[in-house]
Amino acid sequence: MKFYVIFKAVTKNWIRSRSGLFFSILFPILLLLVFGAIFSGTGGSSNFGIFVQNLDRTGLGGTPSDLSTRFIEALNSTNAFAIKDVPPDVNATDYARNTLGPLGGNIRILVISQGFQDDLVNGTLKVRVGITYSTLNTSYQYFEPYLNDSQKVAFQQGLAQMQQYNESLPDRRTSLTIMLDPSDQSASIVSNVVMSVANAFNYQLIGAQNVIQFNQTTVSSTRMTNVDFYIPGVTAAFIMTNGVIGLTSNTSEFKRRGVIKRLSITPLGKMDWILGNVLSQTLLNLLLTGMIIALGWVIFNVRIIPDLFTLLLVFLGSVMFSGIGMLLSGLVKDVEAASAIGNAIAFPMMFLSGTYFPVEIMPSYLQTVAKVLPLTYFSEGLRYAMIYKYAEGIYVNLAIVGVLAVGFIVLGSLVTRWKEK
Amino acid sequence: MGKAVVEVDSLVKQYGKLKAVDGISFEVNEGEIFAFLGPNGAGKTTTVEILECLRPLTSGSANVLGYDVTKNDDVKKIKRSIGVLPQDFSALEKLTVKENIELIGDMYAKHIDVAEVIKLLDLQEKTNEKFENLSGGLKQRVGVAAALVNDPQLVFLDEPTTGLDPKARREVWSVITGLKKMQKTVFLTTHYMEEAQILADRIAIIDKGKIVAIDSPQELISQHGGLKILIIRKGDKGLSDILQKEYDKVTLDKSGDVSVKVDDVEEMWRVIATLTELKINKEMEIQSPTIEDVFLKVVGGRITEEGELKQ
Repeated sequence: MKFYVIFKAVTKNWIRSRSGLFFSILFPILLLLVFGAIFSGTGGSSNFGIFVQNLDRTGLGGTPSDLSTRFIEALNSTNAFAIKDVPPDVNATDYARNTLGPLGGNIRILVISQGFQDDLVNGTLKVRVGITYSTLNTSYQYFEPYLNDSQKVAFQQGLAQMQQYNESLPDRRTSLTIMLDPSDQSASIVSNVVMSVANAFNYQLIGAQNVIQFNQTTVSSTRMTNVDFYIPGVTAAFIMTNGVIGLTSNTSEFKRRGVIKRLSITPLGKMDWILGNVLSQTLLNLLLTGMIIALGWVIFNVRIIPDLFTLLLVFLGSVMFSGIGMLLSGLVKDVEAASAIGNAIAFPMMFLSGTYFPVEIMPSYLQTVAKVLPLTYFSEGLRYAMIYKYAEGIYVNLAIVGVLAVGFIVLGSLVTRWKEK
Repeated sequence: MGKAVVEVDSLVKQYGKLKAVDGISFEVNEGEIFAFLGPNGAGKTTTVEILECLRPLTSGSANVLGYDVTKNDDVKKIKRSIGVLPQDFSALEKLTVKENIELIGDMYAKHIDVAEVIKLLDLQEKTNEKFENLSGGLKQRVGVAAALVNDPQLVFLDEPTTGLDPKARREVWSVITGLKKMQKTVFLTTHYMEEAQILADRIAIIDKGKIVAIDSPQELISQHGGLKILIIRKGDKGLSDILQKEYDKVTLDKSGDVSVKVDDVEEMWRVIATLTELKINKEMEIQSPTIEDVFLKVVGGRITEEGELKQ
């Protein structure tokens, strides 16, 4: 039971360390609170600021046209934007820049050009008349054999007048100009929403009806919030950092200060030392998981309920990342170097393994990298276990994490020196 | 003389072409304080760590308490029976004095009461103090307490006072003296001449992996320390000239002190008689050689405070 003595000692040493406690427990919780606040949709407005300059007015400085006003109302009704009006007689870019100030964020400007209403009316009439002409012409072609001469003449005259009227309508497209900052990460979202509103406005004017009905539902059996989906990622990422950064630094520090040497002179075996540390990491990670989920329940009303697979994954993940920590601290002699290497491995892994961003949005070469990162399978397994309850996904990831856990802990124990050279 | 608890014969430890320990042989007897004296890099810690079963030997043999350090079964028995204060001892910073000693004690099947060890090392007031808050001297005392918690027959103290201030150093010396009273055998490594001379029953001087002298401090001094010196303070050239007529090794330094090197006690008394006849009533001092002189003679250099050899 010497491993239990080690488990108690290193756990106690960790609990009493303020920095250890902060980085292992409080920092992940703070991060969850930040993510939760951003993605839960609570806590007030979360829409995109946009400047709109309406140049379609009756006379200089006159009142905005009816259709341009209705278009702005349509934009507003999406709740996606916080619209700020730009006077028609100023340079919109300068106005936006001055209004936002040097720290004001991204500039997004939508300019409704002069003639918006006229172009929209003419364009809509042209489309509707064109469709009517096409419909009547098709009917004429079909029924011509059954019409008498006077009917034929009346039909042809009507079609000719309709064509003449259509050709008299100006062939100009209504244009909207959107100006976006190249560094604006929300640029594509903003642009797509404006485009969707413009399309819907178009369809409404020409009287088209939605043929396709779009229904949105969830693949999870329970109704989840955005924060539910972040919890497995945050949990997995910090279980990883606890092992790869935390354990690496601690073990290297113990080694540098001669604590490991002191213990190795006693009858304590190497495996007892490793087992004690792995158990300590497991306890820490179970605590972390529990606290993150509990916080999610209390603050963000998440629905996640951890099951046996979640616990098993947390255990195997703790073993796997403890193994990596032992491996790094065994291979790298210098404490600072070991800590730096731990960071250099952990941070890219955190962002490339789909914990915070889906792997699918990354370039294909990074997706290939993600496939060889242990955190990918661990976070995916946790997501399946905590949210989707998808048995096959759980088993496959559990098996991969299990194999990696054994592999890394064996490697870690091989490089942990219990005897000097 | 007690029986040998450490027996080392032709021990070699080699790293590539470098021989850190070069064929040394010695014994440590039960109940004695045996000091391994040498500069940094002389091979002291390497030898001790071989005896502690922490490092494998290259050739030769080493037995501790009758067990062979190269045999796995014997290694377990050695580890159970020895106490160790490693060089630069440290413990878990956030654990208290008591918790750290308990941690080491729990590694053994049996250990003595932690409170008893704490009392023995006079650490009662610091029992619940975190290790990180202790001074250097107290930390070393905790290290010695941890080394004693399994009630070992043989205690290895590797550079126990390095880096400590003179007061803390003397505190540790008193602890080591106490160990002898408890009839423990102490294997001490040090680069401090004074420490070895004051504490040790026998000293082995090691340099470049070889033992260059081994014996009791008195014997070492008598064999290698050189002559005693009688110093007559604030003398003058006249006195110096008179003495030079009768004795071979008389010198006068700039401050006026006259030094007479004497071969033995008899010759010293003769010098004193001469001075009495001359009615010289000056302050006198007899300087005996020390281990430092021995070291200078056998190694050809001195050891700095930091443990480096200065030729």
